[in-house]
Amino acid sequence: MNPLKATGVPAKSGVNKTIIDFLDKAVEKKVFDAVIVPMKTPAQDSYSYVLVKEKSLLKEDGVPLPPTMFIQGAKAVSSITRRGKPPMKIAAVMRPCEIRAAIEIAKLGQIDLENIFLISMDCPGVLPTSDFLKDPKKHEQLFEEAIQKNDDSIMRPVCQICDKSSMIAGDLHIGTVGTKKGTFLIISNTSKGENVLKELGYTLNESIESWQKKVTAISADKKKKRKKAHAELKSKVSGLKNLVETFSECINCHNCMRVCPVCICRLCYFDSDKVKHTADDYLSRAKSKGSMRFLPDTTLFQMGRMMHMSISCVSCGACEDACSMSIPVAQIFSMIADETQSVFDYVSGRSIDEPIPLVAYEKEELSSVEDAHD
Amino acid sequence: MEIKIGVYICECGPNIAEKIDIEKVINAISSLEDIAVVEKFSLLCSADGKKYLSEQIKKNKLTHLVIAACSPKEHEKTFMEVCEQGGINPFLFQMANIREQCAWVTEDKDEATKKAIRLIKAAIKRVGYHASLDKKMIESNPNVLIIGGGIAGMEASLQLASKDRKVFVVEKNDSLGGLVQNFEKSFDDMKLTSEILDKKIKQIETNENIKVFTNSEVAEAIGFFGNFEINIVSQSNETEPVTINVGAIVVATGSNLIDLTDNTQYGYKKLDNVLTSIDFEQMNLSGNITLKNGKKPKSVAIVHCVGRDEKGYCSEICCMYSLKFSRYLKDKIPSVAINHLYSDLCIPGKHHQNFYEETKTDKISFSRSSDIKITQKGEQLNLTYSDEKNKTTNLLADMVILSPAIAPTNDAAKIAAITGISRDEQGFFEEEHEKINPVSTSTDGIFIVGCAQGPKNIADSIVQSEAAAGKILSSLIPGKKLEPEIKTSHISESFCIGCKTCLTVCSYGAITFDETKKVSVVNEVICRGCGNCVAACPSGAAHSKHFNFNQLYQELKEAVE
Repeated sequence: MNPLKATGVPAKSGVNKTIIDFLDKAVEKKVFDAVIVPMKTPAQDSYSYVLVKEKSLLKEDGVPLPPTMFIQGAKAVSSITRRGKPPMKIAAVMRPCEIRAAIEIAKLGQIDLENIFLISMDCPGVLPTSDFLKDPKKHEQLFEEAIQKNDDSIMRPVCQICDKSSMIAGDLHIGTVGTKKGTFLIISNTSKGENVLKELGYTLNESIESWQKKVTAISADKKKKRKKAHAELKSKVSGLKNLVETFSECINCHNCMRVCPVCICRLCYFDSDKVKHTADDYLSRAKSKGSMRFLPDTTLFQMGRMMHMSISCVSCGACEDACSMSIPVAQIFSMIADETQSVFDYVSGRSIDEPIPLVAYEKEELSSVEDAHD
Repeated sequence: MEIKIGVYICECGPNIAEKIDIEKVINAISSLEDIAVVEKFSLLCSADGKKYLSEQIKKNKLTHLVIAACSPKEHEKTFMEVCEQGGINPFLFQMANIREQCAWVTEDKDEATKKAIRLIKAAIKRVGYHASLDKKMIESNPNVLIIGGGIAGMEASLQLASKDRKVFVVEKNDSLGGLVQNFEKSFDDMKLTSEILDKKIKQIETNENIKVFTNSEVAEAIGFFGNFEINIVSQSNETEPVTINVGAIVVATGSNLIDLTDNTQYGYKKLDNVLTSIDFEQMNLSGNITLKNGKKPKSVAIVHCVGRDEKGYCSEICCMYSLKFSRYLKDKIPSVAINHLYSDLCIPGKHHQNFYEETKTDKISFSRSSDIKITQKGEQLNLTYSDEKNKTTNLLADMVILSPAIAPTNDAAKIAAITGISRDEQGFFEEEHEKINPVSTSTDGIFIVGCAQGPKNIADSIVQSEAAAGKILSSLIPGKKLEPEIKTSHISESFCIGCKTCLTVCSYGAITFDETKKVSVVNEVICRGCGNCVAACPSGAAHSKHFNFNQLYQELKEAVE
């Protein structure tokens, strides 16, 4: 592990401007060849990830901390590097949960991080897409105000209970909370990140103590809220009856799976022929249950997805945003994820060096099964 | 094609007949879909039973066969052969185990009968989803590569070489013989080691079916049982690399002593006259046991169990050769006093206790000790240690011989990487199973013998070489084709996401990664169908041919209905 080292940069024009300035400088000095960063779309009403080499474009439209998350950044980076590392150095600027998702799927060969520099920032949360779309201008304003007031009540429900909003998993991180007035921090987490800062001529002698203190406090506070929210949720959804009821609104569109950064299967099992049965089969199921609701297997789909990816879930909330039936999927998944991950003392995307528990081959586990049969 | 399933229930003498109401079972399943015939028979695995079954298959024009009888572990192969005799593919067959799983364990006859019906129904359902799988036959190369020309490797090569089987021995040093060539005599017969060695080396050198590559290393070994391609390079780079083809590999790369260079406790390489066992063997072999100052030692301390605690295992042979050292010393310097310091004496074997009793005289003592520290005291060496009563004791000696733990050779990791065999916690090559497959590895066709597998004496090393040779002689027969596993895994190219998880869980090296397509590919000749990849694949791309999802799902559904 590389120790965190930081440099201070002037914060006067806000976090977006600060990050853009930094990227601008880095592209200018050819430390990065290109940047993938959220940008405002030409219609000015939404944001998307754009791979950009042109500096002027970056300065004009780049918004490193947009009010919404239309696309989970890990999916964007995966699109670029799925077939191998890019031939140029790309800085990917994303929220901490997006970076963690990127690291998580890098472990499954879906992202090649070799030429990618992951840059995160303290995240205030994101607005639910549906809220934002009602009035983009107004919500941009609301988002800004919410940041100023440290108010997360208009953010996605999972953002409100996110205890990892400043987690540094990538190479560089922009610290904005608890810092000296008028100063933000650029913190390096890896030797790769440290080299970037050195190449740009920064001296890494800024203390991160007050930032760390603030982050710890926010995280502790959110953790408390998270625990409480999960406990409430648990009482509502646990047990098969409650679970079936919760997911009874599911229309089987599988949007949640499609937007999920860690759902990486080419073909979801639940989209395959394996879950398409004959009328006979359905009849016998209807007979044994008394009746059967169609479309079938909605709860099974949710539970199957939970089994499959809860260990890698980063609680980003993309699924819940995509749910046209407003099922609190992200909240349920974040609750399950916390529990499954804690079994293995694992935090998804925390470090590229931690193998995903379910795919880590532990020989001892094999012999413990063997011994049980002796 | 019309499906006609025949179900045959074995009474297994009284085993099943007395515990299960077979008539009731027949009634319950006779009217099921696709059932052509349901019959019972007294003992299906008997010669009469097998004949009856194959006739039934033909007579009833069956397409699928279900046998309700004992465990498939016992007779699956038997009935698969019957299928072939009857003219149906042996994989269009399923067994329901109503003996071990019902008759033998369920006391209540009604319950046992119910359970048997469920299991048979599940087997009937499953067999309908079976696919014909064809046997594959591959040509095999009978030749054998032996890595390491020590006593174990030499023995294996002599056992294996014949006019229709060439043996290639790759030895990294400039001559055959290995560690043993340092020894003057062998424990416990005290015969000249050179006599055994010279004889074996001569036999190898004059055997036209053995080719020895000295000063050479194996740089690459690719392939699988029956067909390995080996690349041999000369260390001196004087000769061109050589490529040979073999069907099996015997790894006989021996062992090392643990490295004591950084050890501060025993003063090795820091104090004069502190030797390791190998140093002493060599000094003894030179015929001149002397101190640094040229004088003969009047007292020698032999320290056993050096490094045992750190390593966590007893190296098995040190006590024995340490006793042998006493004999060396007594033969050459009759007046010498010898002190053995040991943690535990380990002298198993049917003759060895006698050897110990005969060695022990008033000038050769044995003391149990721990926390030994060796320092210089004048001309002599001072050994400070805790004795059996935990009392700190001092012992002066002119010379100290250390018996360090036996450790894997320095190139063990490299050889493991080249051959694809695994190593155990200590770094020795790992056998497939300690008890039932002690010389096989998880890779079919690669065997480990001698100290490469763990510390052992000459006799045990030779036994292992003979065992490995036996395995190879019985399975890799010149001119005979090999029949690889049929129930292999398959990875779907369109579903594979290229995460390479399967590569890490495959114990047989059967999966490779296609870098252009970014997908994993199973080599069906190497795959043993263990199912590791199927279980680990996060995207459902890997499946097992005879245990595919649908087969298991249908079977399970019927069993729990």
